[in-house]
Amino acid sequence: MFLSIWSLALTFCGAIALFLVAVAARTGWRVLRHWDPASDDSLQISLESETWLASTLVEYGLALQILSLLLFILAADQFSQVIAGAMCATGSLMADPYGMPTLYVKLAGVFLYGFWLLLHQLDIRVETYPLVRIKFIYLLVLLPFLLADVTLQTLFIAGLKPDIITSCCSVVFAEAGPDSGNLMGILPNELMLAVYYLAILGLAMVGILLLYGGWVERFRTLLISVYTLGWFGFFFLALTVITAIISCYIYAMPNHRCPFCIIKPEYHYIGLGIYATLIGGAFFGSSIGVAALIGRRPDLTRPVARYRRVAIKISLSLLAVFTILSSYHYLRYLFVGGE
Amino acid sequence: MNFLLEKQLNLLDYALASLWRRKLKNLGIMSVFAGVICLVASFQFLTASLTATAQDLLAEAPEIVVQQMSAGRQEALPLSYLSSLEELNGVRTVAPRIWGYYFSEISGANYTVLAVDPSVMPKGDRLFQAVEGQLPSGPGEAVLGSGVAADLKLAGRRSFSLFRPDLTLKPMQMVGVFKPDTDLLTADLIYTTPDAARDLFAIPADHCTDLCVYVANPREIGTIAKKISVILPGTRVLTRPQISQTYRVVFGWRSGFASICLLSALAAFVILAWDKASGLSAEEKREIAILKVLGWQTGDILLLRCWESLIAAGLAWLLGCTAAYLHVFWLGGALFKPVMLGWSVIHPQLRLLPVVSTADLLLIFTMSVVPYLAATVIPAWRAAITPPDAAIR
Repeated sequence: MFLSIWSLALTFCGAIALFLVAVAARTGWRVLRHWDPASDDSLQISLESETWLASTLVEYGLALQILSLLLFILAADQFSQVIAGAMCATGSLMADPYGMPTLYVKLAGVFLYGFWLLLHQLDIRVETYPLVRIKFIYLLVLLPFLLADVTLQTLFIAGLKPDIITSCCSVVFAEAGPDSGNLMGILPNELMLAVYYLAILGLAMVGILLLYGGWVERFRTLLISVYTLGWFGFFFLALTVITAIISCYIYAMPNHRCPFCIIKPEYHYIGLGIYATLIGGAFFGSSIGVAALIGRRPDLTRPVARYRRVAIKISLSLLAVFTILSSYHYLRYLFVGGE
Repeated sequence: MNFLLEKQLNLLDYALASLWRRKLKNLGIMSVFAGVICLVASFQFLTASLTATAQDLLAEAPEIVVQQMSAGRQEALPLSYLSSLEELNGVRTVAPRIWGYYFSEISGANYTVLAVDPSVMPKGDRLFQAVEGQLPSGPGEAVLGSGVAADLKLAGRRSFSLFRPDLTLKPMQMVGVFKPDTDLLTADLIYTTPDAARDLFAIPADHCTDLCVYVANPREIGTIAKKISVILPGTRVLTRPQISQTYRVVFGWRSGFASICLLSALAAFVILAWDKASGLSAEEKREIAILKVLGWQTGDILLLRCWESLIAAGLAWLLGCTAAYLHVFWLGGALFKPVMLGWSVIHPQLRLLPVVSTADLLLIFTMSVVPYLAATVIPAWRAAITPPDAAIR
C-alpha cells in the first residue's frame, strides 16, 4: 500500500534517517582508522570537527526515530480504516507478518540512539575524548540496525493490502481462555496490579536511596544494577498492565483491551502522555547502568556521577507523572464509579 | 537545568535576530516553502474532509442496496423481488426506491428526483421534521429542495411541470419545501410519491429503481448480502460498509497519487534549501568567524543554525497549513476538487466540513519540515567548522 500519503511519509522519514546516519557512519569509519589524539596534523583536526557533524546527525536520527515511531502507530491506525476487520492499529499491525517486528525495532531504536547520544555527551565532557573508539564502533553497529528498521517497515507497507482480513484488538487482546492463544492475563488482575504498584514503589525507593542515601555507598553498584534492570523489567510489566488492565478503565469498557486505541483523540491523547513518560523514564532509568559501565575509567568518574544524579531525578519525575496518568482512570472508577 | 534553558533561549534570540537581518532571503525561501506545504496540506485536508463527509452521509443510508443489472448497466427492478427479500431472517424492512436525475434544459441544472414510501422506511415518520409544509400524498405532489424551488422560479405559484421522456408534460404540485438546514443533502432534490416518479420517468408500475434493505443487526450485513446475491442472481448487492470502505480507499489512493506528483516539487525545494544553505556569503563567513573568536564552539553554531532552520520551517509550516485550510474550507478546495471527486461536469453541491486532525498536521510536518532540516544540517556544519582566521583575514 505505497500509494497512501502515510506510507510515503514513513518511507521518506526512513530514507532521510538512513542518509543522515550513513553520513555519520562514514565519519565513524574515518575516525576509527585515523584517530590519533596525540597528533595535531590537519587530518586529526578535520576528524575532530567531523565528530561534531556525526553527533548532530545522530541527534537528528534520534528525533526522526521518535517521530517515525509516532508516525508508524498513527499510520497503522489510519490503515485500519481500509483493511477489512481492522478497527485500530492492532489490526493493521497483525495484518502483515512484519507489522509487530517493525514496531519492536522502532521502539528499541529510541533506546539505542539515546544511548549513543549519552556516550557522546559524556565523551565531550572530557578533554581527551576517551570514548571516541567505543562511540564510533557503536555508531557503525547502529547503521545495519537502522537498515533493518527501514527494510522491515518497507516490507510491512508493501505487504499491506486493503483486501486482507485481519483481527481487531478485541480478538487479539481478549481475556485468555482455554481456546485463545494469547499471553495476556497469565496472572489475575488484582495480583498484576499489586505487582505493578509495588514495582513503582520499589523503583522510587531505589532511586531515592541512590540520590540521598549517603550511607549506601558500599552497595552503590548493586543499587545501580537493580535500578537499571528494574526499569527494563518495569517497562515490559507496564506495557502488559496498560494493555490488559488499565486500558479497560480508560475506555470504560470491560472487554476492550488495546494498547493503541488510547492514543486516539477520543481519549484525549492520554496514551501519548502515558507512553512518552514510560519510554522517557525507562530510558533515563536504564541509562545510568550504561553510564556506570563506562564510568570505571578514572577520567570519566565525575561526569558519570553528575549524569547519574540528573538521570535519576528525571526518571523519578517521569515515573511520578506516568503513575498519575496511568492510574487516573482506574482511581476515578474506584472512587467516583463507572461512567 | 536553568543554565541549559537560558542558553537555548539566548540562542533562540540570536537566531531570530539573525533571520531578521537577512529577511529578504529568508522570506523568499519561506514563502516558496509555504507554497509547497500548502499544496501537500490541501490534499490531506481535502481527503480528510471528503472522507468525513462521505461517512456522515452514509451513516443513515440503508444497510444494503439491491440493484438490477443488465449487460453491466443498472436497470429498473421488478417489485416481485420484494417478497423473497422480506422472508430472509434478520431483514427489518425492504423499501422500494425510485430515483433518477432530471436535466432541466431551461437552467441547465440537474435535479435529483426521489420517491420512497415513508411508511416503509425506518424513521420515515420523522421525515416531516425536515419539511416546511406537507409531505406528498396525492398524485403529482412534491416537496422541493431550496435550490430546485429557486431554480424553477415559481414566484408564489405552487404548480409546475416537468417533461416525461416522450416530451409530454407531467404536471406537479409543490406541497412543501425542505428546511434550509438540510441544504447539504436536499438542495437539488425533488421528493415525490412513487406513482408520480414512475410516471415522470416512464417506469412500469410493477418496477422500481432499487431496493433498500434495512438490517436489524449490523453484524449480519455481510451474511444477508451474500444470501441476497444467491437468491437474486443478476443483481448487484451493495453494503454500507463496502461503500464506506471504497470511498476511503479511493480518496486515500488519489491523495497518495497526488502526493507522489507533489514530491517532485518538494524535492526541488529541498535542493534549493540545500543550495541556499551551502552558498555562504562573505559576510556570513565573517559573522561565524567573529562568533568563534568570541568563544563560540562548533556545537553552538550548529545549534544556532538548527534553531534558524526550525524557526523558518516551522513558520512556513504554519503558514502553509493555514493557507491550505483557507483554500480547502473557504474556497472549497477549488484547485484539487476535480482530482479527488472525478471529472464529471455536473456535480451535486458539496460543502466541505472542516476536519483537521493532529495526526494530519504531524504528517504534513514530517513531509515538509523534516526534509528541510535534513537538507540544511550538513551545510550548517560546513559553515560551522570554518576556521576563524581564514574568514577574518
